[in-house]
Amino acid sequence: MNTFVAVLLGALTVYLAYTGYARRVDRKIIQPDPNRATPAKLYMDGVDFIPTNRNILYGYHFKSIAAAGPIVGAIVAATLWGWLPALIWLILGVSFMGWASDYSAIVLSVRNEGNSLSAVAHRLIAPRTRIILFVFIFFYLLLIVGAFVGIMAAVMNGAPQAPFGIIMLTAMGVLLGQMLYRWRAGLVGATLLTVGVTLVAILLGPQVQGIFTSLNGAINALTGGQPVVTYFDPTAAGFKGADTKIMPSFVFWALAILAFCYAGSVLPIWRFAQPVVYVGFWITALSMVLGLVGAALAPWVKPAVAQFTIPAFKGWNPPLGPSGLMPLWPMLFVTIACGAISGWHALFGSVGTARQIENETDMLPVGGGSMLTEFLLGLLALLAVSVGSKGAPVAAFATGLGGFISVFGLDIRYATSLAFVAFIVIVLVVTQLIFRVMRVTLTEWLGEAIPPLRSQQVSSLLSIVLALLLVLTGTWIYLWQLFGGANQLMAALALLLVTVWLVSVGKSWYYAGLPMIFMYVTTMAANLVTAYNLYVNVFTPNIAAGRPLPVIGAGLMVLVALLLVVAAAFIGYDGWRAFARYQRQPARAPRPAPARG
Amino acid sequence: MTSRWGALRDLLYGMTGYEFARHAMQIRHELESVFMVVTMGDLIGVPVLPPYYSLRLLPYVVPQIETWKRHMVRRKELWEKPEYDLLEM
Repeated sequence: MNTFVAVLLGALTVYLAYTGYARRVDRKIIQPDPNRATPAKLYMDGVDFIPTNRNILYGYHFKSIAAAGPIVGAIVAATLWGWLPALIWLILGVSFMGWASDYSAIVLSVRNEGNSLSAVAHRLIAPRTRIILFVFIFFYLLLIVGAFVGIMAAVMNGAPQAPFGIIMLTAMGVLLGQMLYRWRAGLVGATLLTVGVTLVAILLGPQVQGIFTSLNGAINALTGGQPVVTYFDPTAAGFKGADTKIMPSFVFWALAILAFCYAGSVLPIWRFAQPVVYVGFWITALSMVLGLVGAALAPWVKPAVAQFTIPAFKGWNPPLGPSGLMPLWPMLFVTIACGAISGWHALFGSVGTARQIENETDMLPVGGGSMLTEFLLGLLALLAVSVGSKGAPVAAFATGLGGFISVFGLDIRYATSLAFVAFIVIVLVVTQLIFRVMRVTLTEWLGEAIPPLRSQQVSSLLSIVLALLLVLTGTWIYLWQLFGGANQLMAALALLLVTVWLVSVGKSWYYAGLPMIFMYVTTMAANLVTAYNLYVNVFTPNIAAGRPLPVIGAGLMVLVALLLVVAAAFIGYDGWRAFARYQRQPARAPRPAPARG
Repeated sequence: MTSRWGALRDLLYGMTGYEFARHAMQIRHELESVFMVVTMGDLIGVPVLPPYYSLRLLPYVVPQIETWKRHMVRRKELWEKPEYDLLEM
């Protein structure tokens, strides 16, 4: 297998899924009517509801859904089961489920006056569904930041060529915000300056890495080379499990990342979060486009970087830790989430994008098309980790992507540095935003009952402390799978809602209902397996060794896993009742209120 | 050919400048909403300014009243906050 064949396979998947299946569903079942007024036209307010050209909206929606998810998932899955199962799931997942989930969420919102999924759930299924979604969101976010901060701190600590680029990216992001919103500079000029300087800084990374190596050494010398925390990590020693030491330099980088996230959480959006994301977007987009084209050209230009080096298949239940389970079903299907199917896309596509749809015929290219394009991002990550055999999963990804970029003549050392930074950037910008969203969610959810949480400082700090607790448990792969489980459950719930709606309006529901059943059963099982793994591989060994911090973290994660299962069971039960009700009698079209006498 | 370039330009704009334009509109909209509440609050049961001044200003804000009232009465979800617009996953 080489990279060109894989890229060709990816392009073919996109073409066939879009023209052969998605268009058919769109035409035969949903039947978009170009003459029907969309909510964007009906309720135009110039801000939330605003008819937007389909090409602009496609770019906006794709950029909004494509980030760290498809990359990290593919890296972890290829490392655990080999590249073949990951490739098959990516292709089948996006072809039969992923596009359907994203597209249907937009359809549902457009056909229900621009209401979000939760508002429609409130009306069609049960009022408590909306409340359960709040709980889902908060824990979902907590899990993802726990996984991301742990990954990034490890990379910043272990790859000293990366921090300089990240520091300059932050500075350039702040400068860009100032230039655009205060100095009113043009976007093109400001972009050229800030992205250019950041790119140069990233490429200079290998030249200045000595500074950061010395810094890490000096920080570790503070404790005389002794670790801050020691814990049993089932993913260490080639997934056999071993004691792992968290060194002071790791904690330093974790705190630096959290400080960055704190700034992103409490400063005005225009001042920090938005411009940093924007500069980061260019860096990652450049790396990904170069990487994808490089992967396609590599077999002819640089064959050495084009051959898959990891095994195609590593087994149905590869060992991870002393006594845990990692069966391909259901775990693969939550490990790779966003490149195949993602609940997050559905939830926010129904609010942000659906209210800007100008014409019903735009729903498929925008919703389905963006998801199919995101699949290519997951495919690129899978290719990169499949050819880059060196070191841990993230290092293998960076080596592989660096190899693809080096096809264009850039020295492999600098190309790998760019790939490393691109990975950190894409994860970092997402993480700072997640803290911001966690802060907002916490305030909305508990601010009435606990008034101090209305303070953005308090709610941000609480979110950060909870995340740090999870980071110090050290098992980011389990955290990732738990996050994937929450995400995929949300996808199943979105599809459940679409299924109920399709039944309620008398349309065929199978294209959404069958993927929903598969994802619902799979993710419930996956969450239970993850809870078991955490208990036997993290909680028990660490409690035996008398290490309280990892025990508290693992206990918290087990509780979250069980909570997600219970919450999903409630929604599933309510959904089934609503489904049966509408199958007996489809919903009547709303009638105007009677005139008052 | 021109339309393809136009589509590509729109796509790139959607991925880059559109979010800044949208956020700028949101900031402006928030300020205008505050102005409307202060000056035309009577319309939604929040009398802030004496009616004399509200009536003097009325002709200038008539075109915005319908949109503003619709925006004010619409039930807002948590994930409609600007933070969520940016959240890429």
